Amino acid sequence: MNVEEYVTGVRKGEISVKENIKKILNEAKKINKEYNYFNVISDDALTKAEEVEKNRKGKLAGLPISVKDCVCVKGMESRAGSLILKGYKPVINATVIERLEKEGAIIIGKTSQDEFGFGSFSTNTDNIPKNPLDKMRSCGGSSGGAAGFTRKTENVHAAIAESTGGSIACPASFCGVAGLTPTYGVVSRYGLIDYANSLDKIGIIGKNVKDTKLVFDVIKGKDERDSTSVDADFKDSKVKKIAVIKESLNVDKEIKEIVLSKVGKVEQVSLPLVSKYALSCYYLISMSEASTNLAKYCGLRYGESLELNGNFNEYFSKVRSKFFTKESKRRIILGTFARMSGFRDAYYLRAMKLRTLIIEEYKKLFREYDILVSPTMPIVAPKFSDIKKLSPMENYMMDILTVGPNLAGLPHLSVNIGTKDKMPVGLMLIGDHFAEEKLTVKGEELENRD
Amino acid sequence: MKIGIEVHVQLNTKSKLFCSCSNLGSDEPNSRTCATCLGHPGSKPALNKEAFEKAIKVAIALGCKINNKTFFSRKSYFYPDLAKNFQISQYEIPVGLDGKFEGIGIRRLHLEEDPAALIHKGNTCLIDYNRSGTPLIEIVTEPDFKSPNDVRLFLRKMITMLTYLDVYYRKEESTLKADANISVHGERVEIKNINGLKEIERALEYEAKRQETELQEQQETRGWDSEKGKTYSMRVKESEDDYGYIFEPDLPLFEISKELLEKLKKEIPELGADKSKRYRKDYKLDEQTAEVISNDINLAELYEYTIEKGIKAELAAKWLRRDLLGFLSYDDKELKDVSLNQDSIVDLLKLIQENKITDEVARKLLLDLIKEDFDVKKRVKKEKLEIIFDEGILEKACREVIKENSDAVEKVKKGDEKVLNFLMGHVMKKTKGVGRPDVIIRILKRLI
Amino acid sequence: MRLDKELVLRIAKNARLNLTEPEIKEFLPELKEVLDKFSELSKADIPSNVNASFQPIEVKNIFREDKIEKCLTQEEALKNAKHKNDGYFKGPRAI
Repeated sequence: MNVEEYVTGVRKGEISVKENIKKILNEAKKINKEYNYFNVISDDALTKAEEVEKNRKGKLAGLPISVKDCVCVKGMESRAGSLILKGYKPVINATVIERLEKEGAIIIGKTSQDEFGFGSFSTNTDNIPKNPLDKMRSCGGSSGGAAGFTRKTENVHAAIAESTGGSIACPASFCGVAGLTPTYGVVSRYGLIDYANSLDKIGIIGKNVKDTKLVFDVIKGKDERDSTSVDADFKDSKVKKIAVIKESLNVDKEIKEIVLSKVGKVEQVSLPLVSKYALSCYYLISMSEASTNLAKYCGLRYGESLELNGNFNEYFSKVRSKFFTKESKRRIILGTFARMSGFRDAYYLRAMKLRTLIIEEYKKLFREYDILVSPTMPIVAPKFSDIKKLSPMENYMMDILTVGPNLAGLPHLSVNIGTKDKMPVGLMLIGDHFAEEKLTVKGEELENRD
Repeated sequence: MKIGIEVHVQLNTKSKLFCSCSNLGSDEPNSRTCATCLGHPGSKPALNKEAFEKAIKVAIALGCKINNKTFFSRKSYFYPDLAKNFQISQYEIPVGLDGKFEGIGIRRLHLEEDPAALIHKGNTCLIDYNRSGTPLIEIVTEPDFKSPNDVRLFLRKMITMLTYLDVYYRKEESTLKADANISVHGERVEIKNINGLKEIERALEYEAKRQETELQEQQETRGWDSEKGKTYSMRVKESEDDYGYIFEPDLPLFEISKELLEKLKKEIPELGADKSKRYRKDYKLDEQTAEVISNDINLAELYEYTIEKGIKAELAAKWLRRDLLGFLSYDDKELKDVSLNQDSIVDLLKLIQENKITDEVARKLLLDLIKEDFDVKKRVKKEKLEIIFDEGILEKACREVIKENSDAVEKVKKGDEKVLNFLMGHVMKKTKGVGRPDVIIRILKRLI
Repeated sequence: MRLDKELVLRIAKNARLNLTEPEIKEFLPELKEVLDKFSELSKADIPSNVNASFQPIEVKNIFREDKIEKCLTQEEALKNAKHKNDGYFKGPRAI
């Protein structure tokens, strides 16, 4: 059953919301013992289920939704996978949560992720999700728990996830599910615990493309509380020409074959600026912004704290040093460096200007092609033991295919198209700004029907 | 001597700069806060349109070039009063640049949010975020001032201008806040965090004097201790925090179109300085009187109203400045502190203008009007306060007084003119002040 | 890019992070590797008339009306804080 069938069943009174929510909560708790997909499983969902049971209204009536830990749910611990925010219960609901609940959706819990979104394997956190197809392997990141549970659950469900450099597409690819990252600004970031404000986008992971589209239609749209959100004039769904990104084919041979055989005979196009600079550009901007976003965590107004000893500089340093992971510290240092006077021009400002050129490079191609495709990831889900051997830079290189569209704020959709070594392979469809309809129509056509 | 100042002005919008919490109100700590001004994760800023437009108006009034595109930046540093450990301010392209006001160069004007209020308490501090997020404009001048007095005069003019623009929130505890840079013979000293006009002048006076005797060899930052009346050396920070500016990614670009500028220019009323000029030209007032009246927006309004209603400019100016302001300042009040009925003032001034009442009666009526409003014409009639031109009545009163004060009369006979005033005073009392003093004296002289 | 221990410590201090000796030892080569990669940006040809992109899509002139809306109560504001006193947030010594 897909989301549409489920919701229709609920609205007709044919499906018991209470039963289903009870079922999925139990499933989640059981799975969680082995797979660590959830930081929080909320029994409040049962109360919500009773309400929806009585009042069977809404475009997503009765639909269980898991929420990535970085999206604030009022009163539910939301710590973005971090230690420093342990116990933090938001005083606000993210706008997406309000919109979902207004349409009858039911929040069942918060899914595990890399701390603050820092990572491609969901290993930079205390609760590490395991790949649903092989427990020795990663789910991908940073929305690992979201993708893992979406794949593993036997119930109808959709996951709210978030992407800064590829954190929806990567885990969707590694777990063999669909992941839609909308155009920057189309979904409100109000209530999203920031990683990098000019790069963060809230999106959806679902068992199939259609599911993700239905949820997307509910959460999209301008929000006056997010000054960078827009009411999009979406492009039509016509797809006349697609092309493969030449540089993206420098990947595992098998993956390349699977991708090329799926898309068939299409032209190959080159993105020289993207392939040379997108990765560095992305990391410089995201780390600069992230280092300012993380400054607020200092043991004062919320989150973990220590005994009030010493002066404020000593206290802040103690708290931050104790509760941030190594990866957070690395990114804070690199981000602080990139915007320091003396280095700001060569790093932060340069990257900000290069982004403009990279967007232009994409736009030029989108005048001719409706969709650009590439493999989502250069590899299939790696083993945890192999991930440990990677240096930070090698970690960052994993994003090589996803940083481009993320940097440019372009919508992109990862669909499952095959397997290599029994692990899923994902195909990424990239569209111009506001071309979500083109992606979902083509994505439905290309995704594997399990 | 060279002095330059950076002034922070709190805008009088209803809500804060980036959130909808009340800008003023309850002083119960942490009672006017939200996720945004508390810096909660996930919260986002949204720019107050009114604050933006007010900032532009001030920039126009300061003669600045208004940038047609402006944006906000994150200024990063760590302090317990900073909710996010960065302040949303403006760096590269502020609202206004390169202006001039009252002969002083204005380097820049920009918008930023206020940090919270901090109280030091032993080994800890207490923080109240009610103030966090309050809209501020920061005005930076060129070091064009030549003396602390120059600064005081400039600031008074600036306060008048801000009051006329209705952008300025004047509170007892924190009106204007300033940092000042002053160099006398040697290097520049920065005095930080001075609160209020009086203190700014005191601090500069002190520092100017100090630098006369102690040669300033290095640039230094000092604080101002208003209790002790001294500046003190602030411990030099080991390494100045680098602010690491980035563009505020949660806010868009802001364009200031020609149309918006025109609209805002039209909304700027005739400012104090222009009024003063006009009063001197049109009403032939002297410089000081024109200044005093135009400096108080409420007084200027009252003044212009009375003229509108037919009171002569010079007469109105005399009575408003000498008598009304005189009475108010005796009680340490300003016109805005009392509720005066403009029409009652017009009635009173008309009676004076038409020579229907004496100055003494007029003053008493004015004093009463300040306390409580009443129908001036009715009372004058009822209590028979009109000038008595009938000398017969006056003469009667004079005879009575002469009879009652034989000692004084003897003194007058002996040549003591001053005692005449004493007698005149008694006659005034008897006649409730409706006799003209000069006429009374004439009659007394005659009778004695 | 000359990234030495001294610079790393200066940056860490700016960011209020105390790095232990082992951490510094571990970070230094890692950070160097990353910065070397980032430094390739210097090779990119960026014409002088290119503007920085604040966001990847064009957004401008978004305002909020100047009106007051419901805010948190004092209790709600202080709820997530461990250190508080008499309605105030309590913090470490600030001078």
